[in-house]
Amino acid sequence: MEPRRSRIRNVLYGVLLVSAALLWIVGLLLFSQVTENSDDFARWTNWIFLINAVGIAVLATLIAGNLIRLIRDHRRQVPGSRLETRVVTLLVVLAIAPLVVVYGFSVEFINRGIDEWFNVDVEQGLGNALELSQTALDLETRDSVAALEAMARELDSLEARADLATEVGRLQRERGARELTIFGPNNQIIATSAEDPEAAVPPQPSEEMLLRFRQAQIDSNRGGVARQPSDDIVLTQRSDEPYVNVEPTADGRIQITTAIALSPQLRTGETQILRAVFPVPVRFSELANSVEGSFNQFTGLDFQRTALKYGFTLTLSLVLLIALLASVYGAFYSARRLIGPIQQLMQGTQAVARGDLDTRLTAPAHDEIGFLVNSFNDMTQRLARARQEAKTSEQLVESERQKLAVILARLSTGVVSLEPDMRIRTANGASSAIFGADLESHIGESLEELSETRPQLAQFLTVARAHTERHETEWREQIVLRGDARRRVLMCTCTELPAEENAPGGFVMVFDDITDLLQAQRSAAWGEVARRLAHEIKNPLTPIQLSAERLRRRYLDADSKELELLDRSTYTIIQQVEAMKDMVNAFSEYARAPVMEPSVVDINELIAEVAELYRHQETAVAIELASDGALPRIEVDIGRMRQVLHNLMRNALEATESRDGACVNIATRYVEADAREFVEILVTDNGPGFSPDIIDQAFEPYVTSKPKGTGLGLAIVKKLIEEHGGRIRAGNDEHGGARIVILLPASLASGAVQVAGGNEQRRELA
Amino acid sequence: MSRLVAVCAALVLVPAAAADAQEDPGRFEVRSASAGLEPGTDVYFLDARLELRLSTEAREALESGVPLSIRVEVEIIHVRRYLLDRESAELTQLYELQYHPLLERYTVRNVNSGTLDTFSSLFAALNSLGRIDRLPLIDQALLDPERIYDVQLRVLLDTEQLPGPLRLLAFWRRDWSLGSEWYRWSLEEVE
Repeated sequence: MEPRRSRIRNVLYGVLLVSAALLWIVGLLLFSQVTENSDDFARWTNWIFLINAVGIAVLATLIAGNLIRLIRDHRRQVPGSRLETRVVTLLVVLAIAPLVVVYGFSVEFINRGIDEWFNVDVEQGLGNALELSQTALDLETRDSVAALEAMARELDSLEARADLATEVGRLQRERGARELTIFGPNNQIIATSAEDPEAAVPPQPSEEMLLRFRQAQIDSNRGGVARQPSDDIVLTQRSDEPYVNVEPTADGRIQITTAIALSPQLRTGETQILRAVFPVPVRFSELANSVEGSFNQFTGLDFQRTALKYGFTLTLSLVLLIALLASVYGAFYSARRLIGPIQQLMQGTQAVARGDLDTRLTAPAHDEIGFLVNSFNDMTQRLARARQEAKTSEQLVESERQKLAVILARLSTGVVSLEPDMRIRTANGASSAIFGADLESHIGESLEELSETRPQLAQFLTVARAHTERHETEWREQIVLRGDARRRVLMCTCTELPAEENAPGGFVMVFDDITDLLQAQRSAAWGEVARRLAHEIKNPLTPIQLSAERLRRRYLDADSKELELLDRSTYTIIQQVEAMKDMVNAFSEYARAPVMEPSVVDINELIAEVAELYRHQETAVAIELASDGALPRIEVDIGRMRQVLHNLMRNALEATESRDGACVNIATRYVEADAREFVEILVTDNGPGFSPDIIDQAFEPYVTSKPKGTGLGLAIVKKLIEEHGGRIRAGNDEHGGARIVILLPASLASGAVQVAGGNEQRRELA
Repeated sequence: MSRLVAVCAALVLVPAAAADAQEDPGRFEVRSASAGLEPGTDVYFLDARLELRLSTEAREALESGVPLSIRVEVEIIHVRRYLLDRESAELTQLYELQYHPLLERYTVRNVNSGTLDTFSSLFAALNSLGRIDRLPLIDQALLDPERIYDVQLRVLLDTEQLPGPLRLLAFWRRDWSLGSEWYRWSLEEVE
């Protein structure tokens, strides 16, 4: 789009330039015509001047603009301006020098040539010819005057009442006059005769003639305009000679008009004037006119000599000026055309040096500079491509790194990489959670310094240091951390990283919190034990019990001293077997895993139902329910849930039965955790709570603080809750009472996810 | 280079030198003018008295054989109250003044009518030229009696009729630009 527009603009410029040049040339041609005698161009004079003046003004403006721009560029040290100045100066000098020389010579030649034309010989010759013609004309005039005087004498000598008209006609024909007229007072024609019979009325006497004869009368007729008599009239009057006038006629001939006053005695005091017009022979007229024409032309040209020189010089100067201005502008223009691509190249190079590789230059033409520009474009394009490739691969690496980081962050396994001097290089979120220290925000710090305030880290470091001191490159060890809350078991694997050029080696350590794993293994083991026990022990118990009972029935009738012993012994056996059966049943209960029969229930209703059973027993324990009315209905196995509640109630009642004001509180509420919905059941009592040494293992079988507990109650509860995909936590509240928190997922549809999420939850709790 | 300077100096000095000399600058002026209906006709006739004095430069040109053209321009102007005045008619009289060295006489040729008058002196020729008597101006029928008309008149030396080089020179030089101001008067309605 852009190059096309610039091409259109170039074409437009070209058309403008060519038309301006044509106009100018036409103007100059017309201007050169001005110096010739051509009326056609007369009216164009002003326009020609205007065209040329406008041309000069436009050129001068363009040049001034260019000059100002060049000076400004030079001051600002714009790249290329020095070169441009030099090129412009060179071109201007080259153009001006020959122009000025040609101009000087031309002006000199014109001036000298014009002076040559008007040399003295021609002027002299023409002057002589004119004088000769005048002399010849004088002779003619003298003849005419003589003829007039003769006619006047003849008329004066006429009889008083002779026929004047006939006489005049005769005289006119005899003397060869063109016209002969006698004027009376008030220019009244008394008699006339003409050569041409068609001429009706002879012309009135001319003013000059009347001035000669009747000046007083003419003066009175003139009115306000005062006039001086010219010298020749006065002279004629004084010498009393006849009036003579040689004049050209409208048809290009020459005629001689003569007049004389007739004698007044004859005409009773009236002045009469005789006028005779004599023609000069045709040939003579022609020759005289020719001589006069040549003379006039020559003297006219001579008079115009200065003007001619002036005109030529002006024309030449104008041409020179326009040519000069045009060539100066041309110098600017071609310098700019020449420098433009170089300037562009310089700017392009600077841009590339700054790192801007998107610079594309437009190639001006298919010349060397165009080739250079194309090469430059090629170069920047390749550089840009190379840079783009580098950036792409960098982005690829970065995205890989980010993916790895995401994986590491979501990993439940802790991963920490260390510098050789135990400074943290990277650490993921899991590692921070395992050590209970925000390792991610301490990257770059030394593990040893961090471990001073974090005992768990210190325990780990002790083990790790022992290995590094032995220069082991790979080791694996199970580490038990004894923290403030609970004991945790870590499986730690350490590998030495290979050293690279600019990165020294280090270690990468991977920790797995296997506490829960171990616990699960233990639970499974216990389940197996319970099942075996139930099977292996229950079978012999029944025959033992039956045997003891038969013994008792058979021998209890006899009244003997041993009888009391028998009674006591068998009772004990039966009692103990009964107890063992209970225990075995409990174990089998623990190990039993019947199929879940889930149904949708209102958990509050279930809790209220269970609590009601205990309320009617004779206990002094207050049972408080705090139910959240807006709980969602959840899907649970009613039998199992009831078992859970029974176990928890029983535990609570047993823990508080010896106390005054004993109270068991069961609260439900709706909670959201990890963007999932849960129903929370909170069972608290004001009993003694869990003792610190068993709090970690509260849910393990055979752990109990009660004098006659099996230690399976909470273990079973935990098992049942986990079968529902829920979680359970045991702890003490701020008053020292036991506090059991159960979280049941509000929708069981995603139970599997709940179990998977349970791991994470457990880790967070740790 | 010195040649160039000389030429440039000449260019500047040619008009300047002429202006410096103690020469008659000439004067064209309309002294008086009037127009009226000739009794018995419906035509307005113009009478005018013009003062015509050639500048020294122009007189020299004339005596060297260069014919001079003198133009008398008459315009009849419709005077309007609110709008600009409008030219209704114009009349131009062109006279050619020439010197004949052989006869030592001056001729005045009316280019419009072709009549030729000869004079023995330039003074007489110019006098005759400056006296316009009974020049038919306009037919009354062409004028709207409801309107007000002015007549204006001027006389000038027509440099466009000069030969080329002089015309170029006349373009620059003041003593060639001879011309009177417009002389304007109201065309009176004669009953």
